[in-house]
Amino acid sequence: MHEMAIATALVEQLTCIARENNASRITTAEVHCGILRQVVPEALELAFAAASADTPAAGAVLTIVEQPIVARCRSCQQTFQAAVDNFLCPVCQTADVELLAGQDIILQTVTLETPDERTS
Amino acid sequence: MKIKVVESVLKANDAVARENRRRFEAAGVLAVNLMSAPGSGKTALLERTLAGLGPDVRSAVVVGDLQTTRDAERLQNTAQQVVQINTGTGCHLTATQVAEALESLELAGLHYLFIENVGNMVCPAGFDLGEHVRVALLSTPEGDDKVAKYPTLFLCADVILLTKTDLVAVLDYRRERVYEDISRINPRAPVMELSCRTGEGVDRWLSWLKDERRRRTREVTTG
Repeated sequence: MHEMAIATALVEQLTCIARENNASRITTAEVHCGILRQVVPEALELAFAAASADTPAAGAVLTIVEQPIVARCRSCQQTFQAAVDNFLCPVCQTADVELLAGQDIILQTVTLETPDERTS
Repeated sequence: MKIKVVESVLKANDAVARENRRRFEAAGVLAVNLMSAPGSGKTALLERTLAGLGPDVRSAVVVGDLQTTRDAERLQNTAQQVVQINTGTGCHLTATQVAEALESLELAGLHYLFIENVGNMVCPAGFDLGEHVRVALLSTPEGDDKVAKYPTLFLCADVILLTKTDLVAVLDYRRERVYEDISRINPRAPVMELSCRTGEGVDRWLSWLKDERRRRTREVTTG
């Protein structure tokens, strides 16, 4: 259940962003999860709901977008989409590759609500 | 108001990991992160490794488990310094937990710091602790299909150790299946077979480890 650790880090990040922007609440957050991170979206949503209670991110709508694994073959430089259990280059059939995407968890966007917006 | 952030969610962990790595390098310590399922033989490997490195090599161990200090007690006599981290319900170590453990360790004069991660084949792989080397262990009784089932652990490994090879005789274990799966995921990692019970194969692992330390510390001093 590494989703709880990820959710806790996300809530800290969101709380920080809310403070920096003088926002009272965060209403949406979009997170891109590389498939290699093995994040179960439902588990992350549950963990996020628990971790965000009593923070500016409480009640925020979390959108999780899974990001495919992209690799580049070290011998022929071919860029291709790999599977979690198969990094074989479709051209050379070797798995000596460099990972270009699929291993990061990135907070892409957030929607902030400022005190002014609420009253207007 | 919608704003663009594009920032790693684990940036706080990664920043602490970078600071840990800086501290290890400043002290000339090779940090080794051992990862595997529970019961693959991480502690047994450490006992063999510490004994095999000999009395002139100074090592410390940080060991993570949900509960108990049993591993720390096992290693008390072989390692110069041992710190046990109990994660409670946490299924992996984080860079911050390692940084906290460093508070009770004297890094100066050490050659190696071994970090025995919590036994788990999924979560530890996602968290940088500041280590230089990632070791994935897979014991023969776990079965010959685990590389394909839990690929991310093996994907991020710098070396893969197939442990408890003395048990192969009583198992239906197809070595070639393991090697084939590794070749599809991480062909750059050397694969070593060993048995901590008989000592077979341990020398090869020890010489790899020593080479790695020589290579990495030279990189640090010249870089």
